[in-house]
Amino acid sequence: MIQLYAITDNPGPPLPDVAPLKTVPIDGLAAVCAPAGETEASPEMLWRHEEVVEALMADRDLLPARYGTRLEDEAALARAVEDRRDELAAALDRVRGAVELSVRVAAAGAPPSPAVPPQASSGAEYLRVRAHAEASHERTANAVHEPLAALSRASVVGRPRPPELFRAAYLVEREAVEPFTAEVARLQDAGAGLSFLCTGPWPPYSFAER
Amino acid sequence: MTTTIAEREVALVDLVDRLLGGGVVIAGDITLAVADVDLVYVQLRALISSVATAQEKGLMPRMGGSV
Repeated sequence: MIQLYAITDNPGPPLPDVAPLKTVPIDGLAAVCAPAGETEASPEMLWRHEEVVEALMADRDLLPARYGTRLEDEAALARAVEDRRDELAAALDRVRGAVELSVRVAAAGAPPSPAVPPQASSGAEYLRVRAHAEASHERTANAVHEPLAALSRASVVGRPRPPELFRAAYLVEREAVEPFTAEVARLQDAGAGLSFLCTGPWPPYSFAER
Repeated sequence: MTTTIAEREVALVDLVDRLLGGGVVIAGDITLAVADVDLVYVQLRALISSVATAQEKGLMPRMGGSV
């Protein structure tokens, strides 16, 4: 069994020496794989996988594969990539020269969504308070998202998981990573009571299939 | 990645979302069963709560401490 790390261009630069990697060429594309290891999904295994993909990303454009993608052998891998060749080539073009940055925003300190307030004496009052809170969340999300979207090639706004108020992934040109993080820092300074987490640069996981 | 352990743990949320929910899906087996994914999320929650104190005053950046 082999496991797939990424789809990239063929030919490409030499493979990094971080794993026993091999490329399988498929009509202008290359699938980067290695003998399959353990199947468990511990945080350590995920980081190890990520380190290989990041080493590849250092000097080439790529579509990262979903973790755990395994195939019988190189011939099976070649067939699977061939089936979607044009679609994958188009996806690779969409992410060319760009990396992914993750932004999550939470309310600093305070619980983000108020529980039923004691003064909510009726269902209508409760709904009014909830609607007010939701409108405020939406304003926060827009205030964060619009300036960041303006600095990126594409974005995917996700469903925030409490206590988050906002979460999104941005596809950012490699050269624009610094202006982007500077903008996050500016938003953090301007957004009293908000706390930002920006991580990356990641391989374009959130943009590989859209 | 030049990060502290705490930063890595916070970034694990983003890592898990991406590796298990993103990326290109080609034919072949995705060997990670749903139970495995659930297990990762459980481990993740444990890690996250262990860094909750460090996070209290603001979420930590992963990228070179620049944000």
